[in-house]
Amino acid sequence: MLTRRNFLERGYGLGGIALASLLKEQGLLANSEIAAEGSKVFDNHPKPPQHGFGRARAMISMFMQGGPSHIDLFDPKPVLDRLDGKDFPGELKFDDAAGASREVMAAPWKFSKHGECGMDFSELVPHMAGIADDITMIRSMYTGVNNHGQSINALHNGSILTGRPTLGSWVCYGLGSENENLPAYVALTDPRGLPVLGVDNFTNGWLPSVYQGTVIRSKEPRILNLDPPKSLQGAVQGRYLDFVGALNQRHLNSRPGEQELEARIQSFELAARMQIAAKEVLDLSDETEETKRMYGIGEQPTDDFGTRCLIARRLVERGVRFISIFTGNQTWDSHSNLITNLPAACAYVDKPAAALVRDLKQRGLLDTTIVHWGGEMGRLPVIQNRSGAAKGDRKTVGRDHNTYGFSMWVAGGGFKGGHVHGATDEFGHRAVEGIVNHFDYHATLLHLFGFDSRDLTYRRNGVAQSLITDLNARVVSELLA
Amino acid sequence: MMPKFHSFLFVSVVVAVGTASRMFAVESALVFEKDVRPILKAQCFHCHGEDGEKKGELDVRLARLLQKGGKSGPSVVAGKPEQSHILEMLKSGKMPKEGTKLPDEDIAIIERWIREGARTARPEPEDPDKAPLFTSEESSWWSLQPIQRPEIPAQNDSRGRNPIDAFLAAKLKEKGLTFSDSADAATLNRRLAFDLTGLPADTVGEKKGENYTDSEWSALVDHYLALPAYGERWGRHWLDVAGYADSDGYNEQDTIRENAWKYRDYVIQSLNADKPYKLFVKEQLAGDEMAEKQGLNQDAPDAKARARYAELLTATGFLRMAADGTMTENTVLARNESIVDTMKIVGTAFYGMTLNCAECHDHRHDPITQKDYYELRAVFEPGFNPKQWRRPMERLVSLQTKEDKARAAEIEVEAKKIDDARLAKQEVFITEVLEKELARRPEIEREPLRKAYRTVVKDRTPEQVALLKKNPSIEKLNGSSLYLYDTTYKTKHADELKKMAEEAAKIRATKPQEEKVQAFTELPAKNGEFPKAFLLHRGNPENPTVEVKPSDLDVLAIWRKTEIPEKTSELKTSGRRLALAEMLTDGEHPLLARVIVNRVWMHHFGTGLVKTVADFGHLGDTPSHPELLDWLASEFMAKGWSLKQLHRMILTSYAWRQKSDRDELRERIDPDNRLLSRQSKHRLEAEALRDALLSVSGALNPKRGGQPVPVSLTEEGRVVLGVDTRDAAGRQTGKFVSLEGEEYRRSVYVQIRRKNPFEIFAAFDAPDMTVANCEIRPNTTVSPQSLLLMNNPEMREFARLFAERILKGHEAAPVEELVSAAWQIAYGRPPVADELKSGSAYLQQQIEQYTREPAKFENALGVADAKVAPPKVLGLAALGQALMSANEFLYID
Repeated sequence: MLTRRNFLERGYGLGGIALASLLKEQGLLANSEIAAEGSKVFDNHPKPPQHGFGRARAMISMFMQGGPSHIDLFDPKPVLDRLDGKDFPGELKFDDAAGASREVMAAPWKFSKHGECGMDFSELVPHMAGIADDITMIRSMYTGVNNHGQSINALHNGSILTGRPTLGSWVCYGLGSENENLPAYVALTDPRGLPVLGVDNFTNGWLPSVYQGTVIRSKEPRILNLDPPKSLQGAVQGRYLDFVGALNQRHLNSRPGEQELEARIQSFELAARMQIAAKEVLDLSDETEETKRMYGIGEQPTDDFGTRCLIARRLVERGVRFISIFTGNQTWDSHSNLITNLPAACAYVDKPAAALVRDLKQRGLLDTTIVHWGGEMGRLPVIQNRSGAAKGDRKTVGRDHNTYGFSMWVAGGGFKGGHVHGATDEFGHRAVEGIVNHFDYHATLLHLFGFDSRDLTYRRNGVAQSLITDLNARVVSELLA
Repeated sequence: MMPKFHSFLFVSVVVAVGTASRMFAVESALVFEKDVRPILKAQCFHCHGEDGEKKGELDVRLARLLQKGGKSGPSVVAGKPEQSHILEMLKSGKMPKEGTKLPDEDIAIIERWIREGARTARPEPEDPDKAPLFTSEESSWWSLQPIQRPEIPAQNDSRGRNPIDAFLAAKLKEKGLTFSDSADAATLNRRLAFDLTGLPADTVGEKKGENYTDSEWSALVDHYLALPAYGERWGRHWLDVAGYADSDGYNEQDTIRENAWKYRDYVIQSLNADKPYKLFVKEQLAGDEMAEKQGLNQDAPDAKARARYAELLTATGFLRMAADGTMTENTVLARNESIVDTMKIVGTAFYGMTLNCAECHDHRHDPITQKDYYELRAVFEPGFNPKQWRRPMERLVSLQTKEDKARAAEIEVEAKKIDDARLAKQEVFITEVLEKELARRPEIEREPLRKAYRTVVKDRTPEQVALLKKNPSIEKLNGSSLYLYDTTYKTKHADELKKMAEEAAKIRATKPQEEKVQAFTELPAKNGEFPKAFLLHRGNPENPTVEVKPSDLDVLAIWRKTEIPEKTSELKTSGRRLALAEMLTDGEHPLLARVIVNRVWMHHFGTGLVKTVADFGHLGDTPSHPELLDWLASEFMAKGWSLKQLHRMILTSYAWRQKSDRDELRERIDPDNRLLSRQSKHRLEAEALRDALLSVSGALNPKRGGQPVPVSLTEEGRVVLGVDTRDAAGRQTGKFVSLEGEEYRRSVYVQIRRKNPFEIFAAFDAPDMTVANCEIRPNTTVSPQSLLLMNNPEMREFARLFAERILKGHEAAPVEELVSAAWQIAYGRPPVADELKSGSAYLQQQIEQYTREPAKFENALGVADAKVAPPKVLGLAALGQALMSANEFLYID
């Protein structure tokens, strides 16, 4: 048994010590209750949250990789209308100097107020506007790292570096899954390709492999090899699984502490159960036409995203803990051609995303399911003009990255409905009120799952590691119902 | 397709990593250059100093300028932290404006530095813009220093066999650990076989006793090193680095790269021949220039010289491995993307530095400027030549000799003669048919019809057109419809013409084959000038700024030559790549040897001495054993850059032969096993797994080299081995073309389609090369892998072959005997008593089941067997599949 003193003394790796010195005594002690001793078995059996305040049981994150333009969708800025075409009056932080300009571009789309709460939406997202009273719009998101990779990492794993465990892995590590016949953590990828950073978007990092996100393919067959060939069906395969299990257990017994071997045993057990459960969950034939229509299934351009949203709802219904739905690589990264790219990107997801919230609500699942919609950044209020279009010609221009202030929305699982939180400056460039950075965001999510944000730790190299690396992270209680 | 802004992934600042290394700053006074500048450089230079940007009129690049301050007065007052404005700004989080607040440790360092008098290590330069690009602190980064030849520590563990052990044991002792026991002979034999050949152990290494003697062990290492399978295994490692694929990638078209496989074979053959690494690198960077220098070309009289020429050109295929969408999307952006990816590959392979982070701006953490990036790119510019871009198919180099070309031309003349005769004959036949057709028309129509027919289409009058329309059997008469009239007139015109066409084809078939390679070559200089290279503003190919000259990294100029001449009189090409290759392999370059020995180490131990094998910079890992790394690098070079010698050194160390088991002490002190007090267990990589399956099922087709085994898509959407028989619209035709045993070739020979990776490979983490290359493979454990082992049709086929192999000649053998044989083949060991018992029970039950309920074998491709299979075969297949799915098969101890 390690005491705090000796593992601090023995902490190897400079980074480890640096982090250790940051950790509060309390965090370390809590850690010893949860985290591993050498041969502890890690699994996805359901585990109770640490605290009774956990309201959320599952999360669906619709990750809009590339960075949707908040000022064209959710955060209207009348000042920009006045300044349109003029020189930007303040300081700007660009990421990509190619075609960088200071020429203000007002949102080319109309905004109006929706719901009883009167939340603003542009005409590009009419369906999301329809769920205004069910969501919290956060208009003051901030990561402050102005490029895709680092900002994606910030939102997924709490640091700007690659290789750490993602949010979904932490949640499954803490809570396991309610359904042991399906992967606890599922990634629904886009047929147009993986987001920037690829599989790191759902990696378990250095958490045990059982907390890895499992990909459900973007096209049929969604999961390969679900059906045994005829000659293996029934008792034959049952015996095979028992026998492989016994071989593996025997093998593991003489190799104590090998988490990966243990994870492989569990992955076989899960695979066996998945043959029935995954087929069932992926078979949408028992959904009504009305439901399918609501998600935009069977029509373009919503068929793909709608199908994936519906699969996500079915997974949540069956107790899967964490689901990430991704849009394709850089779908939202409109450095140019904003005027065509953004409406296309919105049309792909607007209807299905709104349907997901509605559907969860009508099934009574929204109270316990956090739904998130957003990307790793927003866009700048000025024109980026890579193609050298003439002044006034807006056909090919776009907007550069902005991680200093952007919007995303959350719903369910204990978040308020019909609420707008925080604000950016009058130009939509920087968050100025109620700033929510990735640390705060994660602390709030973990809180909703019933964790005091720094208690959910995993010991590695003698140090209690946590999703949240900033001691100033706070639960943003203003967001909570 | 959206541009991939990889470079933007690295733009901003990192706070967590840099700090740690400074926590152990010695107690001596802090100095600006070493302690403070790195913090300010990463966080503040961007707005306060760099590129003429001086917000608030403040320049923070020098301690002196900090004291001078800006609009808000002095930023630093030496000795007086409380009066130093900078601390106020940093502590309050008002600065940096764009990033997160500086970590408290960093602020504490700056505060302490001010309190101690804001010292500098040396007098500061007059003009910060003309200051040396890097402070000596930056340029003294470990990986950029000359490779040392450290003293070998005394061997403090009696089990130590060679200097590697001495270095490791010394460090272990410091930390209170020792080596583990040696693994037993069977474990070592299996570990060694997979390590060197990617295949299960053969019988040579079988050993009755527990342990090998040193001489037995060395002989066994030599045995596996000498097998051609060695090159296939280690070649695959290099192909990861090179970003090898058989298709162009970039967009959905993913056009096939017909000749890529020649580079794959080049790599395998080079490794098998133990080509000195130095030469291997040189050939890949500048094989074409080496050939010219040595006077080699396709017309060399000597076959060996011609083969060497082909080899050298093929080697440069390394620089053409990157994805390249210009076959279908020949845009400035697509061209640039391919160049950027190539630079990334060069960076991974030879520098082990994230050169690509300097594509758009100076590297934020390492002493690599944006100018450096483009100076290095300038080495390759004459070959890339984006202004006169050659698309993949346009830059294939023909290896045909002058004689063969001439011979082909002669043959063509002969064939052409027959073609001409055939056309003349055809004309005669057409006239004959025409007259017969006319003869069937009224006399009066004949001449106008004849005239209309003989008039060139575009010159026909409307009347003539109308007339012909009325007579379709005349209008439609031509060479390709001629055969239709054979029936009408009982002639054999078509046959006669066909015979002539066949004759021509037969003659053409005697032409010498024209072989082409995908090479990296330069177009001849225009007026003695090669294309100019420019620094691209923020990496934008449409925005070139200053011209740059070829050079190695400037930071090395402090202690070695970095200039690369723009051209050489010795060659028709620029000679830049050859010059760079010579510079990299001169035995003094600080990176090349360190990077390769570290990579080799990673494949032997699972982790590199520097964990981040492609990042030897500030954001990478620092070596766990810096002296050992340097000693290995210097020894490697001293022993003739022989990779096989390096393998021998590592594999005959005691450290490599340790047991891999964990225990409490080791877990506590060194959970990541960086100190190597044990070996590590790891899963077989995708290719080794499939090769092992092929091997134990007895199906392995040992054919080496040549065209890749094709992959295709099934109706279900699975990517399998098979000839693609989809029609032009991409629909399945259901046609099945046998691969005739090609499907049992080693994995390294399976076609890599970037957009359609082979299922088994994709499931087990093989790279699909949709990014430039693969630095380190991920290692996942997910249930779709288990589903594959359980249900995949190819897996099923391996199981069947395994069963048939065991039963052959032993059809009547008792169950126990079959089980023993199965264990021996799958695991290279007999079953222990209870394994034999449970295995036999399992087999017996499965056989009984299949006796009660007969079943047929399905096939990986095509339809299921027509007849039911014998229960014994089915049962044994079930046993084989279980053994091949289990961890003992998947993992190496």
